[in-house]
Amino acid sequence: MQLKRPRSPLHLGLMAASCALLSDSARAQAAPDDAAEKPLQIDTDLLYYKENAGRVQTIEPVVSLKKDFGDQRLLDGTLTLDTLSGATPNGAIPSRKPQTFASPSSTSLTPKPGYKTTLYTIAPGDLPQDPHFKERRVAGDLDWSQPIGLDNTVSYGGHASTEHDFDSVAVHVGLSHDFNEKNTTLSAGINEEYDRIHAHGGNPVAGSDYALYEKEPSQTKNLAGGLIGVTQVMRRNWLTELNYTFDHSQGYLTDPYRIISVLDDTGAVTGYRYENRPDTRTRQSLYWVNKVALGPTVLDLSYRRGKDSWGIGSDTVDAKLRIDLGSGMSLEPHARWYHQSAADFYNLYLSETGPAPTYMSADPRLAAFAATTFGLKFGIATRRNGELSLRLEQYQQRPSDQASSLAELQGLDLNPNLKATIVQLSWHLEY
Amino acid sequence: MSAARAGAGGATPPPHAPEFEVVPREGGIVAVRFVAMASPCELLLETAETHTAHEMGRVAAQEAWRIESKYSRYRPGSIVSVINRSQGHAVVVDGETAALLDYAAQCHLLSDGRFDITSGVLRRCWRFDGSDRLPEPGAVAALLPLIGFEKVQWRASRITVPAGMEIDFGGIGKEYAVDRVLCLIAARFAGAALVNFGGDLAANRAPGTGPWQVGVERPGTEREARLLLELSRGGLATSGDTHRFLLRDGVRYGHILDVRTGWPVPQVPRSVTVAATSCVEAGMCATFAMLQGIGAEAFLEEQGFRYWCLR
Repeated sequence: MQLKRPRSPLHLGLMAASCALLSDSARAQAAPDDAAEKPLQIDTDLLYYKENAGRVQTIEPVVSLKKDFGDQRLLDGTLTLDTLSGATPNGAIPSRKPQTFASPSSTSLTPKPGYKTTLYTIAPGDLPQDPHFKERRVAGDLDWSQPIGLDNTVSYGGHASTEHDFDSVAVHVGLSHDFNEKNTTLSAGINEEYDRIHAHGGNPVAGSDYALYEKEPSQTKNLAGGLIGVTQVMRRNWLTELNYTFDHSQGYLTDPYRIISVLDDTGAVTGYRYENRPDTRTRQSLYWVNKVALGPTVLDLSYRRGKDSWGIGSDTVDAKLRIDLGSGMSLEPHARWYHQSAADFYNLYLSETGPAPTYMSADPRLAAFAATTFGLKFGIATRRNGELSLRLEQYQQRPSDQASSLAELQGLDLNPNLKATIVQLSWHLEY
Repeated sequence: MSAARAGAGGATPPPHAPEFEVVPREGGIVAVRFVAMASPCELLLETAETHTAHEMGRVAAQEAWRIESKYSRYRPGSIVSVINRSQGHAVVVDGETAALLDYAAQCHLLSDGRFDITSGVLRRCWRFDGSDRLPEPGAVAALLPLIGFEKVQWRASRITVPAGMEIDFGGIGKEYAVDRVLCLIAARFAGAALVNFGGDLAANRAPGTGPWQVGVERPGTEREARLLLELSRGGLATSGDTHRFLLRDGVRYGHILDVRTGWPVPQVPRSVTVAATSCVEAGMCATFAMLQGIGAEAFLEEQGFRYWCLR
C-alpha cells in the first residue's frame, strides 16, 4: 500500500477531468432542457429569376444567420442583394404603328440643351417595354426574439433596404402566448413601414399627360399593419395555423414608371397618361396553413384569401410535399395556384372620349389574372446538419383581359402571358 | 437532414429498472442488490429503515439502468449505437453525453493517446477465449486506420465519427454509473452509503462503526484471493485481465490492447486496484497503469495514488 504526495500533473489532470465529468453531467441531468446545443445556423441562397421574352431577370444572393443564445433567445439577421435587369412593360398597349417612349431617367421627351433624353421605339404589334431597366437593391433584416416568463415570447426587429429610386425602413413588434400545454399559441404583432420614392428622372405628376413630361421631387408613403394568429397542434403529426393580417398604406402609391395608352374610338393611340392610384390602400388577408407529417413525408398545405380597398380580391392555394428518399436525400414537389380580380381603376387603356377617370392604371399586376407555379426541389444532407438544395420552378401568369374589340386592336395580344423560370440554390449549415 | 439527434430527453423509454432485493445486515447496515451492466450491484446504506432502503434501491437501480440503456453499445437505441451508425455524419448529443465525451477526450490526451474510446473495433479480430488463436497480423493492421480519437471531430455538442469507426464507453461507463448513483443517493439520504458495481465502488463517508470493510476480488488470481480493504470515502476501481487472455508458445496475450499497434500491451499486471477521490478517477488511473505494461507500478508510484498491483 502506498500513499504518496505531492500528486503528479497527470494525477491532477485526471482528478480535474473526473471532477468536471461528474459536475457537468450532474448539471446536464438537472437541466435537461438546457442540454440542447446552441448552434449558429447559416443559410446561403442564390436565386435566379428569369421572365420570358427578354423581360426582367434577377440574381439574388441572400445570406441569413440565426444565432441561438440559449433559453430560446434568438437573433436572426438577413442580408439580401438584388440585381434586376431586362425589359419591363411600361403599361402602354401594343399598337399597329411604331411607338416611341423616353426612358424614365430622361428629363425631357425631346432633346434639348441641359436635359437628358433617352428614347426607345417599339415595333408595331409588340408590347411596349423599357429595355433599359436595371436596378440594384440591398436589404437587411434583423430580428430578436426571447421568452418572457414561461409562456410568452416577444420579438422585435427592423428592416431597411435601399435602391437607386427607393428607400424603405420598417419596424415590427410581436408577442405570442402559449397555453394548453404549449399545444396552442396565440400571436399578435404590429408593423410600421416608411418608404421614400425618388424615381429616375424624378417622380411624374400622377395622372398627368405623358407628353407634358411633368416631374416632381421625391415622394413618400407609409404603411401600418397588424397581425393576429393562432397555431394549434391538432395531433402529434398535424399542426394548423390561422392568421389574419391587416394593413393600411398611404402616400404616393403610384408606380412612377407606368403609363397608360389613350386611344380614340378606332383604337388608334392618341397619347399616354401617367398612371394615378388612390393615395390610400387597405389590405386584409386570411391565411390558413396545415403541416402534416405522414411518416417521413411532410405535407404543407395552405390557403390565403386576400382583399383590398382597391377592389383586388385574391385566392392562393399552395401545396408542398417533402419526401424523404433516405440516405439524406429529399425531394419536394410544389404546386401553387393563384387568382386575383382586377383593381377598380385598372384598364388596359383609356378612351379619349368621355370623362377621364381620377384613378387609372394599366399595370398588369393590378389586372385580373390566374397564375400557376410548378416546382421541384431536391435536397441532400451535408456535414454539420447541413443541407444543399436545388429548386427549379416554372411560373405562368395568364391575364383574363387580353384583347379588345376596337378595330385597330384586332388580333393584338394586349396583355401577353408571362412565363418565368426560377432556379434557387440553397445551402443550410449549422455550427 | 440525416444527422441524428439523440439522447436529449424527450424519447426516454418507460422506466424499466432491474428488480432489487433488500437484505438487512449486522451493524445497522442494509444492503440493496440488483444486477446491471452485467455485474452484481450492491448498495450499502447505514440505516435501520427498510422503506428508506427500498426508496434508495429504486433510485440506484433506476439510474444504473438509465446509464446502461443510454450508453450500452449493444443496445440499438443507445446514443453510442446512434453515433456508431452515423456513417460519418455529425450527431448532436445532450449535455451528459457531451460531458462523457469531454472526459474521454481529456483521458486520451492525458494518456498520450493510449486510452482511446475508438479502440473497440479491435474486438473484431481479438477474441480472448483462453485459446491460442492469435489473429493474422494483417487483419490487425487493417483495423488500425479505424482507430484514433484524433480522427473524431468533437466540438461543442457535435460529434462526427468517420464512417467505419466506432466508439464505446468501456472503462468509463460502469465507474461513471457508480459515482452517479452515489451522488443521487447522497442527495436523498443523510447516512453513510457505499455503491459497489462488480468491484468498482464509491462511498460518501464511513458509517458510525468505522470505515467500510471492502473485499475486492482480484481477477486473474488462480486463488481468487480477495483483497480486504478499508474505505471511508472516495472511489475504488480495479482493472484486470480476468480470464481474458490468449496463450501461445508460452506467451500470455492479455486483453489490454495497445491502440498504436493493435496488439496486447506486453507484461501487464494481472490486476491493478486504485483508490482515488471518485470511482471514475480510480478506474481511469487503473486503466492507465495497465496500459503501461511493465511500467505499471512505476507509473502508479509516480502518480501518488493508493494502489494494489498484482502480477
